[in-house]
Amino acid sequence: MIKFDKVFKKYPNEMDVLQDINLEISSGELVFVTGPSGAGKSTLLKLMSAVEKPTNGSIIFENTNLSELRNKDMPFLRRKFGMIFQDHKLLYDRNCFENVVLPLEINDISPTDSARRVRAALNKVGLLSKEKVNPITLSGGEQQRLAIARAIVSRPSILIADEPTGNLDKGYADEIMNIFYSFQQVGVTVIVSCHELPQSPIKFKQIHLIKGQISNSDKYVPLLS
Amino acid sequence: MMFVIIGITLCLPSAGYLIVENVRQISTKIQHEAEISIFLKKDISQDQIDFIDLALKNSSEIKKIHYEPKLIAWEKLQSKLKLSTLDIGISENPLPDGFFITLNTLSNVKIKKLTEDLKLISGVDNIVIDGSWIKKLRAIIYMVKIGLFSLGTLLVIVLIVIIGNTIRLQTLTYQNEILVSKLIGATNSFIHRPFIYTGLIYGLGGGIITVGTLKSIVFAFNNVAEKYEYILGNSITLVGLSAVDYLIIVLLAMTIGLFSSFFAARQSIKKLEKSY
Repeated sequence: MIKFDKVFKKYPNEMDVLQDINLEISSGELVFVTGPSGAGKSTLLKLMSAVEKPTNGSIIFENTNLSELRNKDMPFLRRKFGMIFQDHKLLYDRNCFENVVLPLEINDISPTDSARRVRAALNKVGLLSKEKVNPITLSGGEQQRLAIARAIVSRPSILIADEPTGNLDKGYADEIMNIFYSFQQVGVTVIVSCHELPQSPIKFKQIHLIKGQISNSDKYVPLLS
Repeated sequence: MMFVIIGITLCLPSAGYLIVENVRQISTKIQHEAEISIFLKKDISQDQIDFIDLALKNSSEIKKIHYEPKLIAWEKLQSKLKLSTLDIGISENPLPDGFFITLNTLSNVKIKKLTEDLKLISGVDNIVIDGSWIKKLRAIIYMVKIGLFSLGTLLVIVLIVIIGNTIRLQTLTYQNEILVSKLIGATNSFIHRPFIYTGLIYGLGGGIITVGTLKSIVFAFNNVAEKYEYILGNSITLVGLSAVDYLIIVLLAMTIGLFSSFFAARQSIKKLEKSY
């Protein structure tokens, strides 16, 4: 599904953020990208989701080379991913329903269908009763669940979460991880970055980064919990 | 507020155009009725007058001929001024006989040739082309038009800057929304759309205010002119612009709104993209 081949990423006036990254993620896998702060986890996820382009090397997603993708085609590719951010990136001038409906508006889905799908997504994350509520009044865990609802509403084949539990206490963090596990169970590829490897009840893969390089001994190790 | 700014800014050149159009229409009308006055020598005989009359009738450039004997002209003048010869101390009629002709051509070359030919006829003392001031008026109108065009261009630039700046501030207000939309797959056209609509609405509102203001100016002027008609002795009416002209003003305002908002939004969003 996603293949990194000798990928390097360097920002102007900075050292290489990522160096010689080779990895492959298959459809339906649960992948944890771990490593300390500044290891390059967020950059790796940005490259996977076509938010950034690599400096060198190729990233192949479903037979499309992301490095050669034209800028005008990028938005259409991004629609295939469900993105979740550590800071939620919710819109506080809109209510929960309006936040979740945004990807469907972008995809030009009819209002009737949109309403049905938004409610289904909110129900999935347990926030259906709060569709009219402004997200600023929600707890941190609820805000992250709302961000997940926004990510899944357009039924993406991949969920990419950048430190989704970084600001949450353990109870909320487990709740969020359980939602990810449930999506992986129905065939969605889930890629989650975090500082430490969580306790997962299901099979997963780990990509451990240190100073921009994959540090697993064989650089790509499937693990079982 | 933005509607009023656009409306008033566009009103300045539009009101100038309205006035110029009115003056131009009057000048065109006058030119079509331009006359040549031919004043005859005082000691001219009736045979010579008949000869000139015949010569004028044979000319293809002349539409209408009116002969005014000096006696009638003198009586008319006295009656108009409500004076008798005693009042002004003139015992003898000072006016000459005259032909007043209306031309059926507007060609300067033809008018010049006709005047030269008429000057050669014996008994003709002086020829006055009544339409000469029209040329000056037209030249002034032309210069005023150029001035208005320059003023209009400057004001359009001012509007582009004002609308562009407002849209740029709006993109900053919606910075979060733009960035999130970009991250979840929104195209540039999707993100630009609300800002372009805003620019269009600004233009539409401003254009309508301009049209409304112009119509009010015409209405108010004509109302006042009607009241003072008895003093001026003539009715002066300001003719409003045509429906097409008003439509052009609204469309122009909308185009200014569209382009300035599009370019401002594009520029501003490009800068925001760098902060991913």
